[in-house]
Amino acid sequence: MIAVLGLIAGVVAGLLVRPEVPAVVVPYLPIAVVAALDAVFGGLRAMLDGIFDDKVFVVSFLSNVVVAALIVFLGDQLGVGAQLSTGVVVVLGIRIFSNAAAIRRHVFRA
Amino acid sequence: MSSEEPAAQEETGGSEPAEQLTGRQRLLKGLWPPRVSRAQLIVALLLFVLGLGLAIQVRSNSESSALRGARQEDLVRILDELDNRTQRLEDEKQRLSGQRTELENSSDQAEEARKQTAEKERQLGVLAGTVAAQGPGITLTISDAAGAVEADALLDAIQELRAAGAEAIQINDVRVVAGTYLADGDDGVRVDGRKISAPYRFKVIGKPEDIEPALKIPGGVVQTLQKEQATVSVAREDKIVVDALRRANRPDYARSSSP
Repeated sequence: MIAVLGLIAGVVAGLLVRPEVPAVVVPYLPIAVVAALDAVFGGLRAMLDGIFDDKVFVVSFLSNVVVAALIVFLGDQLGVGAQLSTGVVVVLGIRIFSNAAAIRRHVFRA
Repeated sequence: MSSEEPAAQEETGGSEPAEQLTGRQRLLKGLWPPRVSRAQLIVALLLFVLGLGLAIQVRSNSESSALRGARQEDLVRILDELDNRTQRLEDEKQRLSGQRTELENSSDQAEEARKQTAEKERQLGVLAGTVAAQGPGITLTISDAAGAVEADALLDAIQELRAAGAEAIQINDVRVVAGTYLADGDDGVRVDGRKISAPYRFKVIGKPEDIEPALKIPGGVVQTLQKEQATVSVAREDKIVVDALRRANRPDYARSSSP
């Protein structure tokens, strides 16, 4: 419950406070958000599976974000930033979908 | 939650068929009642960060123009176009301001030319006798009791005056200009066809210090006239008004050849 409240609080804070994002981070923010979403869905699935572990969640969340940002950064350096971003988003999207399917099976029994 | 779940996992793992709704139950249990645990707080923190990033991203995406989502090549193209457009506008500005300067200059020049023309007209008017003139000068009065003064004597006087720098001359009420001619008529001297009679009063504008000696030099105009029994007087004056005018005649054939 507190976790859900944290998410809501984050969204509200982002909308209200309107913080200034440093220019260095701007290109990596969207991909990092997608990666974090993937981690969150994974965590939710793990919780429903009953194997949720906060340490694992924290590590997976942070490493997801860092690796995604790193890939984009590397892609930018190599000149294929847009393509790599697309690739990362596709992979993460597939994972999110599969996680969502597992969650759905748990919640709706279907 | 974390402290319980491994146990729960084992538990469910052990009796999976018995508890069909464990997943849903766990979800509900996690949602309500709210429990403050380390796991909950850490997850809440991470989700807070996620929500923040989500909101910022959505916001910056929706609030900014199409440029934010544009690809690099598109941005370069747009930048190029903007540069070109700036260049074009800059060129146009330069052209227009050049035109403006030109117009200003030309109107200034036109004004200046007009002034100079007016000034020249006045100067030429003095020479041509179409405008009145005033200035320092002398009056030369020739009283001809004997009637011995003829046109050539007056012409000599005029030549002498001109040579001495006279700028405007009138005899009685006739303006003397470049085209003036003098002739002896039956009844006296005619200047430009108009009869004039003694005493002949010359009104002359020029430098008095030059003109008076020029008239009075030995063997000059005054002496010559005096030999013919004429009475001649020369008087310097600070202000002479030459107000006899001539009509400006437009030449029939001669045209200015200067542009």
